[in-house]
Order: sequence, then C-alpha cells, then structure tokens
Amino acid sequence: MMGMFGRLNGHDTADFRKRFQRLFVIVLIAIAILTIRLAYLQVFKGDEYKLRSENNSVRLRKIAPLRGLIMDTHRQVIVDNQAAFDLVYVPSRVVDIQRIIEQVEAFYEKRGLSLNNDSQLTGKTRPFMPVRLEKNITMAKLAFIETHALDLPGVVVEVAPVRKYSGGEMMSHVIGYTGEISKDELEKRDDDEIGPGDIIGKSGIEKFLDEYLAGKSGAEQVEVNVTGKVIKALGHIAPVPGYNVVLTIDYELQKAAWEALAGRRGAAVVMDPRDGSILALVSTPSFDPNLFNSGISKRDWDRLSKDPLYPMENRAVSGQYPPGSTYKVVVAAAALAEGLITPDTRFFCNGSFELGNRSFRCWQRHGHGWVNLHRALVESCDVYFYNLGKMLGVDKLAEYARGFGFGELSGIDLPREKPGLVPTKAWKLARRKESWQLGETISVSIGQGYNLVTPVQLANAFSALANGGALWRPRIVKQIEAVDGRVVKVFPPEKKSVLPVSPEYIEMIRQGLWGVVNEKGGTGSALRRPEADVAGKTGTSQVVGLPRDEAGRRAKILSGRFRDHALFACFAPYKHPEIAVAVIVEHAGGGGAVAGPVARNIVDAYFHLKTSRAAPKAPATQNVVNERAGQ
Amino acid sequence: MKFDRQWLINFDWPLLGIVLAICFIGVMNIYSTGFSLTTAKAPLYLKQIQWIIMGLLFMLIILSIDHRILVQYAYIIHGVAILMLIFVTFYGYTTHGSQRWIAFGGFSFQPSELVKLTLILSLARYFSDHGTQSRYSIKDLLTPFFIVLVPFLFIVRQPDLGTALMMLIVFISMILFVGIRIKDLLIAGSSGLLLAPLAWYFFKDYQKERILTFFDPERDPLGSGYHIIQSMIAIGSGGFLGKGFLKGTQTQLKFLPEQQTDFVFSVFAEEWGFIGGVVLMILFISLILWGFKIAQYSRDLSGTLIAYGITIMIFWGVFINIGMVLGILPVVGIPLPFLSYGGSSVVVLMMAIGLLINISMRRFILQP
Repeated sequence: MMGMFGRLNGHDTADFRKRFQRLFVIVLIAIAILTIRLAYLQVFKGDEYKLRSENNSVRLRKIAPLRGLIMDTHRQVIVDNQAAFDLVYVPSRVVDIQRIIEQVEAFYEKRGLSLNNDSQLTGKTRPFMPVRLEKNITMAKLAFIETHALDLPGVVVEVAPVRKYSGGEMMSHVIGYTGEISKDELEKRDDDEIGPGDIIGKSGIEKFLDEYLAGKSGAEQVEVNVTGKVIKALGHIAPVPGYNVVLTIDYELQKAAWEALAGRRGAAVVMDPRDGSILALVSTPSFDPNLFNSGISKRDWDRLSKDPLYPMENRAVSGQYPPGSTYKVVVAAAALAEGLITPDTRFFCNGSFELGNRSFRCWQRHGHGWVNLHRALVESCDVYFYNLGKMLGVDKLAEYARGFGFGELSGIDLPREKPGLVPTKAWKLARRKESWQLGETISVSIGQGYNLVTPVQLANAFSALANGGALWRPRIVKQIEAVDGRVVKVFPPEKKSVLPVSPEYIEMIRQGLWGVVNEKGGTGSALRRPEADVAGKTGTSQVVGLPRDEAGRRAKILSGRFRDHALFACFAPYKHPEIAVAVIVEHAGGGGAVAGPVARNIVDAYFHLKTSRAAPKAPATQNVVNERAGQ
Repeated sequence: MKFDRQWLINFDWPLLGIVLAICFIGVMNIYSTGFSLTTAKAPLYLKQIQWIIMGLLFMLIILSIDHRILVQYAYIIHGVAILMLIFVTFYGYTTHGSQRWIAFGGFSFQPSELVKLTLILSLARYFSDHGTQSRYSIKDLLTPFFIVLVPFLFIVRQPDLGTALMMLIVFISMILFVGIRIKDLLIAGSSGLLLAPLAWYFFKDYQKERILTFFDPERDPLGSGYHIIQSMIAIGSGGFLGKGFLKGTQTQLKFLPEQQTDFVFSVFAEEWGFIGGVVLMILFISLILWGFKIAQYSRDLSGTLIAYGITIMIFWGVFINIGMVLGILPVVGIPLPFLSYGGSSVVVLMMAIGLLINISMRRFILQP
C-alpha cells in the first residue's frame, strides 16, 4: 500500500537535529525580546502609561469635507456651502451628558436663550470625544458663548459647513436635502469612510449622487488640554471636497415653472425633446431644504411628514395620475399603427356610446357629430376613442402604452420614481382576481380607469411625439466635475427606444395636437400664442388619486369632495420642438382651463428667456419634423 | 486506508489542547472588544466561534488524508488555489479598498489565506523530491521561486501586502532551512533588492501609496502613527496585573484601532496585564516548539518540511504582529494567529494544525 509513495524519501532525523537546535534558540530569543519589551511597557513604564490612558489627550478629529456644488445647465450655482457654527462639548473626563446639557441650558437662560437640541443625547461622555450639543447656532448665541467661554469649561464653538440651497422650495424635489446619517443608514453602509455624525444626501440629487458629492473626510490628530483646547497638532490629512454636479435644469425656467404652479398642488415637467434633458421639474406643495441644515427640529419634521398634502413627495416622478384625455394620443397611434383606422375613418358622436346596457358619455353632451381623427383629437371627442378602444382591446392598447414609456420607470436620475400602471387583462386577473370587463376598456381608452402615469412619463411621451418618435431616458444630470474642472463623469443623452408607430402616423397625431391649441373648437386654446407654435393635449382625470384601495377611492369619488385633476401636455415650437411640457394640477377642474394656463406661462417663460439670453445656443439636432405640417 | 485505533492513541492531544486554549483566549478577547456597531449582524465573537468550529471540521477532513497524498498532489492543489486567487482578482468583492474575497452563501472566503498553506505544501513537495543532502544553488531554486512568484504577484495586486509579505518570509525561511549556498544566497538577495523597484511600474497609484505607507507609516500620521501610540498606551497602562476583563479603557473607549484584527494583542495586554501576556507567550512558545518537534520527528522529509513551514509561518505571524503592536516593528498588516478575528485565517490555520497533527500521529505508523 505504501508503494504508491514511490517518492518517499527516508531520511535521517539526526541530519536535522542541528538545524532544529538553532531554530529553538532563535525562537526563544525572539519571544524573549517580545517579553522583555512587554515587561518594559507594562512593568517599568506601566504607571506612566496608566496616567496617559487616564488623560488620553491625543485624539483624532474628523474634518468634514465640503460637499460638491450643484449647478444648473448654465453653470449657475444653485447649491453651495456656507459656514455654520456648532456648539460642542469636549469632556475631559467621563461625565453624564444630561448634566452638561442642563448646565448649558442654565447658562443660556441668563440671556433668555434656549438650547435647541432635538437629538436624544444620553449616557456618558468619553474623555476628549467631542459631543455636539447644538448645531448651527444663531449669531446671538455665538457672540454670547464666545464672550463667556470661561464660564463653561469644555464648551467650544466649531465651524462646520452646511448646505445653502438658494433655490429653496422651488428646487427641493430635484435637489433633495442632506442630513446626518441615521442609524439604519449606517448599518446598511459597509465602509469605513462614513461614521456617526457624518452628513449624507437624503433625497433628490443629493441622495442620488451622494457618492460623488460627499467628498472624503479629512482628519487631524491633536493633543488637547483638560479644557479640550487643542495644544498641539500632531498630524493632518486635508479633507477632499466632493465633486461638482452640473444638472440639465435651467434655474430660470425652473423658477418660472414654480411660479406658474404657485398656490396649486401638482407637478410640472419641462423636457428638451432633442435629447431628453429635463429643463425644469417642479412639484408643489414643497418644503424648504434649508430646514434640514441644522438637523431639522422635531416640530418642523412632524409638520412636513404629517402634512396630508405630502409636501415631501416629488409628484413629478412619484405622483401617479390617470392621464385622462392626454392618453388619446396613445389610442390614436395604436389604432393607426394597427391599421384599424385611417385618418379619414369617421365615427358618429351623439354624445354617448352604448355598450350592452351601459352608456358612456362624451364630455360634450350634445355630441360632436361625424368626427375623423383630426377633429377627434382637436375637440377631444370621447366617443371616437371609445370606438377605437373597443376595436383595439385593452391588451393591444397596453402594448402601445408601453411603447410610449408608460407603465415602467422612465429611468430619470431621481430616487423613488414610480412606474405608473398600464392595465391588461392578465394584470387584473392577477391583482384583483377578476376578469376584465369590456366597459373597462372603454374607460381606459380615454385615460380613465386603472391607468396611471407620472408627470415625467407624460412629458417624455409628448417629447417623443415632438421629436418624431425617439423616446429618451429623461436626463437630469449633465456631468460630474472635479473641483479643478476636470470632467469625472458624463451622463450622455440615452435613446431608450423608438415609438412603435411609423413617422407618418406620428405626424398625423402631431397635426391633431397643433389643432387642439390653434384651431377653432380646440380644447387647448389657452396655449394659443401669436406665433401659433404650440401643440398639445388637454386632459381631465376624474379619479381621485389619494386613497390607494378601490373602496376608499370610490368613497372619495362618491363624496364629491374632490375635484378632477387637470392635465396638459404640449410641445413647442411645433416645427422644431425645443421643449415638451407636462403639467398636472390636482383637484383643480378641467385640463384646458386650469393646467393650460400653467403650461402657457412655462412656454412663454421659455421663449422669453431664449430671446433675452445674450447668446442663445441652438444645437439643431433631432429635428425630424416635416415642413408640410404647418397649416 | 481504514480507520486505525492506533490513530486515536497517537492523536496529538497536547497540540490540539494548546491551540484550543489560544483560540479560547482569542474569542474571549474579541468578546471584550464588544464590537457591535451593527446590532443587526451577529456579534463578532460568535462568528469567530463559528469559524473555529468550521475550522475544526476542516481539520478532521485533513486528518483523514495521509499528508503524503496531499504532497503528491501539492502542485495541483496549489494550482487550484491560485485559480481561486485569480478569480477573486476579477470577480471578488472589495472591502477596505482591497479585492480579496469570494462569497459562498453567507460566508466569504479569502483564497490568499489558503494559498499560504498550498505554498508550503508545494515547497515541501519540491524540496522533498530533491532532498536536503547538499545545499541548493539559484538554478535549483527557480522552480520554487516560480511556485511562490505567481500567487505573490496576484496577492500584491489585490493589494494584500501583509499576506504577500508573509508568503515571501515563509519562502525565504524554507530556503534557509533546506540550505542554500552562501554565494548564491548573496547573489539572490542582492538581485532581489535590485529588481524590486522594477515591479514598481506594474502598480497603480493607490497601490504605490499603500506600499509606501506599508514601509513608512509616517506617511500616514493619522493612520499607523496614531495606532501605535494608542496601542502602546493600551499595553503599557495594563500594568502588571491588567485592568481586568472588559475593563480596558483604551479598548472600551475605542481609542484603540483595529481592535479585533491587527491590534488584538493590545486589547489582551491592557485587560490581562503582563501576567496575561506572559501566559500567552508561553502558549505560543509551546505551540511553536511543539510544531518544530513534530517536524524533527516526522517519518519522512515532506512531513518535516510541511511541519516546519507551518510552524515557521505561525512563528513569524506571532513575532511580527506582537512586535508591531509593541512598537518595535513597523506597522504591517499581519494578523496574530488564532487571536485576530478573521474567518479564512482561522479556518486555514485550523487546517494547518490538522496537517501538523496528521504528521505527528503518522510518525508511529510502521512504514515499509
């Protein structure tokens, strides 16, 4: 059996005895060296080190890096950093934090000031580990503390950078806000770079691009005296500032969109159909991101998070609404592409559409008479589209809706995007355990019923119609740059797909949309500018979006307490579109009457800005529009 | 190769006893670091116990295989380990800026730890094939050099400089043990020093920075410099009797960095004092001398070389790590065997001990 070990090398262990004797000696000497050193440190120097450990005065201080700037498409800085002053306590021994807080409160009281501290600081301090008592103190407090520093040993003021959001409320849903990393977030992160007390992006771009914006903490090793003052700097690593981010957002246009929506509840998205860049994205009501700078107070947080109007939600990407009549462009495209109709196919509208024993109304009670595709779009005839919907069936319709980018994430660079909903027979069976009813197809064909779209999807679909069929990924970040201007990362425009409709049919729909705004009887006359250069579609969605469950939804509708959502989607200029706009105003009434003027203001602002800017840039790409369309 | 009662009788209980005693100290020590930044995860000491148990299982597997079979297939085993290493280089995931892990289900594994062991096996194979009667020349050593060079380069690339350094030290220790001509030793040493800068060009900037800091901790005053100061304060303040279990202020107040890994000895010395330190030293000396004894009395040359390689690896780990935390050696990231937290390291060490026991108990079996 041992034969297999042919290589076995019988050797004489005595041959090695000398080598092993030497090894024994080497090992003993080595371990002896360690033991002697150990004895030196622990026995001879023990008392000295014990003292040093008790007054461990060498500490490592983290230096927060400056977060990167955020700029708009014209490189105007919209998010900056500013200095804030934090009240910090540096204990020289182990003390109860609560006692220190009481002392500071008593100290403040002498001046009628109060400690603004919502974070639950409890337990004991560690010697020389600074405790932040209050963030972003006011100038009055700063002056008071600096002049009375001796009364409060260990209390020092430290300078820390905080965010300055010059856009305030109007940009908050795009930009987001920053805050101290929470315990949960800390647990999810598995890296050494980040620790308790560090600032991270909590929403919007601040969160989405946090890894670029954050920068790297520096540190310094210092020796401090008993009052916590630095007496000797032992080492220093400079913090590395974060990268700057350039957005596609146009600050001025954003401002105009914000003002156009002022006082209303809803969202507006402005997109460049030539490359999918988002020029403005507004959601109202909003919140002031600057509130989070000093650690938002509990009162403010409760006010924001418990507000029934959800000011923290970015309605432009997370709000899901029935698209109403804006959806008719999809139905028309589907019917054309499937060869079910020609532009000249006519249906008669007497004001209602009969299906079995049910009757579906047209919004125009007296009916539109005989209508072809163009008239049906211009006057938004429901009965015409009921007919198309019935011919197509819900699953075919869903196929085209997806082709327009509905029912799936648009891929915009913002957190918490919702996909909306494109209903199908299979969906209803799986979700509701009920089979699809033909009547529901009829509702779906005018954008009511189960359909849900987000404003950004709507803008993107109209942008695709505007540019002749290219569906872009909505792009909100242009590029990321280092502090020295070196480009770190470019986010190029991304064409996701092409509409599943031939260009000639797209052109027919475009003509209809032009008529909506510019022809007699069109529902979108609010957008009729002297230049006659806007094409769009109104929409009024009858279903209230607030409660998610069916029963709650019914109850709300029946109660009649909520009005319809108003929608408007458009693009301009008609011939060579530069912007596509989607506006949704919640519970406001008819799309043409309410959302139309909002869109009008935005479109006007765009062209006003364009002419007023000294050097208007005109990158003429992607203009695939036929000239014959003018009429 | 059926189970032999003789094995049970010949089983090296004292060796296992010493190892388990050191492991026990290690677990207790990790418990004291009480490291639970993330309450969601299992505390580290429990994980370390899991790793030790897993290591014991692997040890049993190793015990059932005659070490000469392992030596026979040493090159293949080494090759497989290197393939895993290459796999990590491209597909492994990164922690602490170094790419060296493979994940298996819930466990992650560092092939570089395993490579240390397969390297020893391969060198044992080569040198047992060629005997130790006469001293080696550089030409004879080209194959062993190649055996170490390939994994070495991949490990440096990760970069896991501690492990790479350890492999080099084990390699040199092996050569010195089997014997090299003095003239060739001088030539190899000096050309090694001359060639080292050439490798420089293959590194990326951050890797260069890492290597520079590795050799010159002053480059990163807040890193190693700070660590050493805190480590020495921790150890020194332990005094003769120590501050007591769970009472080390340097440890509990987190002044001490890398408590569970590189600076684990400082934690121990702070809480258990000079007495504890000496007990630990005695345990390590016993382990190392026992390992050398196994090497010396092995029935065959390959057994001698494996036992020597494993023991010298443990010795260097102990000496470099403790020397580092005591402030007499530069701060190089080499863990303390059996005490530092680390799954792959513990499992591979247990496998190594399995090999030692293997060689130890087979020396009594009569061989033709």
